[in-house]
Amino acid sequence: MNHIAGSLEQYSTLIWHWPIAVYLFLAGLSAGAAMTSLMVKWIEGNNKAPWDGLIKAGALLAPLTICLGLFLLIFDLTRPLHFWKLLIHYNFSSVMTLGVLGLFIYTPLSFIYAAIKFKPWLFETGPFAGLLKPFKGIIDSIGDNPAWLERTLFLFAVIIGIYTGFLLSAMYSYPLFNTPLLPILFLASGLSSGVAASILFGLLFFKSEVNQKNAKYLLELDLRVVPMELLLLFALFVGMYFQGGDKTLVAIQALTTGVWAYVFWVGVIGIGIATPLLIAVTALKHHAYRVGYILLNSVVVLVGVVFLRLYILYAGQTFIG
Amino acid sequence: MGKAYRLLYDENACIGCQACSVACRVEHGVPEDFFRLQVRMELKGVFPRLGMSYERMACVMCEDAPCVSVCPTFASFQDKDGLVHIDERVCITCKYCILACPYHARFVNPLKNVVEKCDFCYESRVSKALLPVCVSICPTEALMFGDMNERDSLVYETSHKEALIFPKAHLKTKPKVAFLPKRKGMKS
Repeated sequence: MNHIAGSLEQYSTLIWHWPIAVYLFLAGLSAGAAMTSLMVKWIEGNNKAPWDGLIKAGALLAPLTICLGLFLLIFDLTRPLHFWKLLIHYNFSSVMTLGVLGLFIYTPLSFIYAAIKFKPWLFETGPFAGLLKPFKGIIDSIGDNPAWLERTLFLFAVIIGIYTGFLLSAMYSYPLFNTPLLPILFLASGLSSGVAASILFGLLFFKSEVNQKNAKYLLELDLRVVPMELLLLFALFVGMYFQGGDKTLVAIQALTTGVWAYVFWVGVIGIGIATPLLIAVTALKHHAYRVGYILLNSVVVLVGVVFLRLYILYAGQTFIG
Repeated sequence: MGKAYRLLYDENACIGCQACSVACRVEHGVPEDFFRLQVRMELKGVFPRLGMSYERMACVMCEDAPCVSVCPTFASFQDKDGLVHIDERVCITCKYCILACPYHARFVNPLKNVVEKCDFCYESRVSKALLPVCVSICPTEALMFGDMNERDSLVYETSHKEALIFPKAHLKTKPKVAFLPKRKGMKS
């Protein structure tokens, strides 16, 4: 339509696109992987080298995925070379600033934690051994079980997982973002993606070092988190429905309208929640240890979490009442 | 004492001529297909009972501005008079403010790659005691601009005489732009 006032294109409410959804996924995964690695490490008997393959997988995934996510985030800026201004200006009422501050602490800690877990490779056998030699003393002095570091890392992993939710929920003209449950939902799905990625990564790359007992522990953990996600999604939409006005309208639209409703029912619920639960009660019944199904389980959980982030980001900006 | 600027848009006087929109584009060199200001028109009602309705889309200069509170670098900031501006040097164009603005007043200028919006012509006009260009060009005096601290100003008088509508008042953003709603014609 030729609008006399001019093009309406700039008034589209879809502002943030898929790189943000992928960042939200990677940040959640990183936080979840750090938590996973620490939880396995804190099990009696797991606190010394050689580290379990799952501990190593989580320790490696945490710094890698957060860095990948941050690169994506920076290059999604319209002026990527100006990103450093974010590092020298702090507006404490902005969730984005609070996230930056959290990442300032979380990211280095995740690297140090990973360095402890990969000490022999980094400083002796790996290709960068010569280059990294000067840092060996620092990592050695921290020791294998730095309680302060691990607890701080865990705390900040929770903070990172939760901040990605507050980043969106602070947007009060978007009803689907602006719900108090979103940060908790993102933390829960972040944890489940971290667990799934750690299992997948551990079984693919550190298989000989993975203790079955630990893998079963994580599968059980995932089996508790996934239904929790379902409950959170249920409470989120029912809660919005009962709030009335725009929120009711958006809750109904987001679950019934267009392509994003399909993404929700097929991608988020079908692939991400129903399939893992189905695998858990059939192929992995009584905690059977069938590697093929365990890997499949991890893949569907991860795909489901990607769909969840995409769904929330896009449906949230599409349906605004 | 600081200024308490207010801009009033009288929907009864507006004829939808778009002079304000054109003047704004010229004044600020707004790129094609982007707008600091739009006046939308819609034909409402059922024949023969028809009427035009007008809507001004531009920054409403919130006192409690969501764009300012979400901006991580203070690129969106308020000056001493409470006007919201954008510091182009500090803006990283993360678009968080565009998402936060309930009035959809912001856009990314594709030539400068920074976020832009109506600034009441502060630099070029208001700071020199001139009216914003949209106000000065309006042929039907549908736009009024002034300082609410001045008792004899047109905006003060009009604000105390007319029933004003503050856009999305329920959000408690306290806009400095208010509308004089249409009294005649079709409302829906």
